Amino acid sequence: MNIVSLCAVAVLTSILVLSLRRHNAEISFLSAAAGCVLILISVLVNMSSLYDTLRDILSASGIKLSYITILLKALGICFLTEFACDMCIDAGQRALAGNISLAGRLMIVLSAIPLYKEIIDTVLSLTGGSG
Amino acid sequence: MDVDMIFKIAAIGIIVAVLNQLLIRSGREEQAMMTTLAGLIVVLSMLITQISGLFESIKSLFGL
Repeated sequence: MNIVSLCAVAVLTSILVLSLRRHNAEISFLSAAAGCVLILISVLVNMSSLYDTLRDILSASGIKLSYITILLKALGICFLTEFACDMCIDAGQRALAGNISLAGRLMIVLSAIPLYKEIIDTVLSLTGGSG
Repeated sequence: MDVDMIFKIAAIGIIVAVLNQLLIRSGREEQAMMTTLAGLIVVLSMLITQISGLFESIKSLFGL
């Protein structure tokens, strides 16, 4: 799907949601959720080729493969938590949205712990400390 | 998934709203509530598969 149809889907879904909200608030929210899922899925389908190129470039630059995996995993966590957070804000649950965004940040830090360990090891080997 | 899905959900919403109004006017509040609930469940079950597809594709794409 190209960007023109994505924009059309977004505008059309908002019009549908607005006209449906007065009569049936739950289903209007679900319709908005369907629009979000549709847009995100079609973007991700296009992104898989970009993802392969990115992986090729990063592995050609000599960075370890595990680091690239951590980087892409963080990107995936960002996508997921952003989606969930926006859905919660749309449903009027700001507390849930804040919690899920905090959980996403913590998960990213947790998955990046091997990188921190690597940095600490490098610093220790440079300063000659025994750790 | 297609744009039809959004239209389908909106159509279900309109039908359920009309049925709800009709049933309330004819004095059957319980059945009206049940109709609303049934519509909500139908739409939710349609959407759950799509959301799980989205999550699966993110999981496979980013190696989560």
